[in-house]
Amino acid sequence: MAQAAVTSEAALERRRRGAAGRRLGDQVATGLLWAAAISVLVLLALFVGYIFFLGIGSISWQFLTSPPSEVTAGGGIGPEIYNSFYILIMTLVFTVPVALAAGIYLQEYAKPGLFQTVVQFSAESLATVPSIVMGLFGLLIFVYLFGWRFSAIGGALTLTILNLPALMRVTQEALATVPDSLREASMSLGATRWTTILRVVLPSAIGPLTTGVVLIAGRIFGETAALIYTAGVSVAAGRAAYDLNPFRPAETLAVHVWYTHAESVVPDVARIGNGSALVLLVMVLLFNVTARVVGRFLTYRFTRKS
Amino acid sequence: MMVEALVEPSIKVDVADLNVYYGSFHAIKNVSLKVEDRRVTALIGPSGCGKSTFLRALNRMHDLTPGTRVTGSVRLDGSDIYEPGVDPVVVRYRIGMVFQRPNPFPKSIFENVVYGPRIHGESGRDELLAIAEKSLRRAALWDEVKDRLHRSALDLSGGQQQRLCIARVLAVEPEVILMDEPASALDPIATSKIEDLIGVLKKDYTVVIVTHSMQQAARISDYTAFFLLGDMIEVGTTSDIFTRPKDTKTEDYITGRYG
Amino acid sequence: MAIAVPPRIKAVASRAHRSEFVATLLLRAACALVVLSIAALIAYLASEGTKLFTHDHVSPFEFLFSPVFNPEANHPGSLVFIVGSLAITAFAVFVGGPFGIAVGVLLSELAPRRFVDVMKPAVEVLVGIPSVIYGWIGLTLLVPLIRTVTGSNGFGLLAAGIVLSVMILPTIITLSEDALRAVPDSLREGSAAMGATRWQTISRVLLPAASSGLTVAVILGVARAIGETMAVQLVIGNAAVLPTGLLSATAALPTEIVQDMSGAQQGSLLEHALFSMALLLLLIAMGLILAVRLAVRRRA
Repeated sequence: MAQAAVTSEAALERRRRGAAGRRLGDQVATGLLWAAAISVLVLLALFVGYIFFLGIGSISWQFLTSPPSEVTAGGGIGPEIYNSFYILIMTLVFTVPVALAAGIYLQEYAKPGLFQTVVQFSAESLATVPSIVMGLFGLLIFVYLFGWRFSAIGGALTLTILNLPALMRVTQEALATVPDSLREASMSLGATRWTTILRVVLPSAIGPLTTGVVLIAGRIFGETAALIYTAGVSVAAGRAAYDLNPFRPAETLAVHVWYTHAESVVPDVARIGNGSALVLLVMVLLFNVTARVVGRFLTYRFTRKS
Repeated sequence: MMVEALVEPSIKVDVADLNVYYGSFHAIKNVSLKVEDRRVTALIGPSGCGKSTFLRALNRMHDLTPGTRVTGSVRLDGSDIYEPGVDPVVVRYRIGMVFQRPNPFPKSIFENVVYGPRIHGESGRDELLAIAEKSLRRAALWDEVKDRLHRSALDLSGGQQQRLCIARVLAVEPEVILMDEPASALDPIATSKIEDLIGVLKKDYTVVIVTHSMQQAARISDYTAFFLLGDMIEVGTTSDIFTRPKDTKTEDYITGRYG
Repeated sequence: MAIAVPPRIKAVASRAHRSEFVATLLLRAACALVVLSIAALIAYLASEGTKLFTHDHVSPFEFLFSPVFNPEANHPGSLVFIVGSLAITAFAVFVGGPFGIAVGVLLSELAPRRFVDVMKPAVEVLVGIPSVIYGWIGLTLLVPLIRTVTGSNGFGLLAAGIVLSVMILPTIITLSEDALRAVPDSLREGSAAMGATRWQTISRVLLPAASSGLTVAVILGVARAIGETMAVQLVIGNAAVLPTGLLSATAALPTEIVQDMSGAQQGSLLEHALFSMALLLLLIAMGLILAVRLAVRRRA
């Protein structure tokens, strides 16, 4: 009997030590996971802080409004900022109607069948295309085939094709947030499906739609690879850099950040790069924040759900 | 010698040999029913018996669900709504529907009520306001909302939202109102308001109401039809159905043998 | 017999039906544009991307496997770039992958709601930072750091790999968090009921259960890394030589395209070679992502 008691005590001791070991392993693992997460936050803070700290010195009214310089120091980013917005708005003007229409069709009208499968598959395939490849496609079509050379509209059309799938997905998801009971109510009052979409479904989906569009606008603003060989890396001289002619080269701010560091020969690369990076980051952050704030406000107004 | 009735009961909706299929599932099996004008006809039966499916066939709501097939005829004042070439939009102008869960649009109270008239071409500001007031009064909601017509309909309570949905239907001035368990999502006080409203509405409209509550059917309806597993077992005046049911299945349901 | 309604209603109804007819036509036209876009893209890129083989008579074998990149001498061997792409992608996956999954595990299983509410917007901001900015940070911060620490000139696989790891982090974090959240609670409860610690539950039960979702997360991270251009181009060194180690300057498929396209004459062998590289990129990215989507759909 005494023998059995000793053995079970040893077993208990082993089990206790095992449990302690497991708890230690648990704590170590948890610590590592937390370290990973915290380092991501630290990384983000580091990036944002670095960009602000380095760039703030370059910001001046002169910097933000004067044209870039090819070889001397003292250039600015005025035309590039203008081009970024110019191309952004043109891209949205092209993309929103097409993506909205295609998204509405897929979500509200399409019946399972060949057409729906082909369209859905096309959108998914389009989404897999890397932006540099899209830029080369734009080069082939708009610069070479259409003969436009480097142009703002060539860049905008390239960005349109690039962003169609994303905006279609935004549209479909936004429409899916509208409950079917609203569609039923509208059609039981004698409305056609199209009337229902126009007067009930689209207005109800305005929150998620707006969030999605503004977020995509932020992505367009920062796009580079697809624009280098479509909209080009230069700006027109003087007044012409600020006009509405879409058939001229139009270097955007994002492309300028790249160009300054990859190809440019001006001596104050650092100053220009830092300032441009800061302005670009601020704009993208603004888009991000606006998207969520406006989206949340609109969603509440139209669904009373936060 | 036969004694003739003083008033000939007129049939507003005449359903003959109605079948509804969800894919291969036979949901409504050869049902025929005559709905009398300006009376309340209740459809009762255990869950899943097909009463809602039957109701939705009366205003061609199944057109909206792909894979559904309807055969038979539903005659409104003699004209079959399922005849080829009939526009469902036009059918729904004369037959309206109130749903189980209130489903107001995320718009103002005013915009909800005048939605139907707007899409039917009504546009004058004064005309629309007049229609809104008339419909809201008929739905017993006017006094509660007359000072906040332009506030969101989503801020109303459940019972108020349901009365708003009724006002929305009334604004189109249908002749038949289909109600799919209109009070089941509401509290007892709101429910009794809806029931009182139905009692008033039947003076001007033909009402067909699906209800899972036998007490409600007994309280408000003139005629009752009992459904079971897609078949209509029995139909008659409400007092007959509840006091002298002819079929044992009806009697079993009435007496609570199954729910 | 038609349903009797006032003629005004009949007129309104036919007008509504006519509008709907026109509207659906326009909606379908938009869908057709989408189909046309991808069809044209594949057609033009396939056509231009094979000119190297059809017009210039370079063998695909040489293009894919020769380490000699000398387009002037008609030797556009792109092995350098293929290896470069694979190397930095592998680095990003093996560094960024576990890191991202770790954070995903934390967010799904361990972190309190308030921390998740801070972390999620932070990850979204990271996603929103344009690639040029990542490249610029790499160029101005990381490259000098590597230079001081190792004595090399700082450009090369290591810099590109690190930048790429950071860039695919948000994708992997979000997708692995979703994959873990999708694992039913019954598994967590069952494991806890048997006396397992949280980490044992995670490592032995949850991670295996979420393995397909985690694989998808990693593959999509790979697809993102393969096509990433701007950030990598600024730090990889852009030397058309096979990498010999982490610190050697080299090049990748997308970076080579950006680097030399501006100087390439239209119709020249170099230009054709660059388009062949683009076609290769397209095939890899499209193949990877569509394969993943097919696998996911088949499982669902």
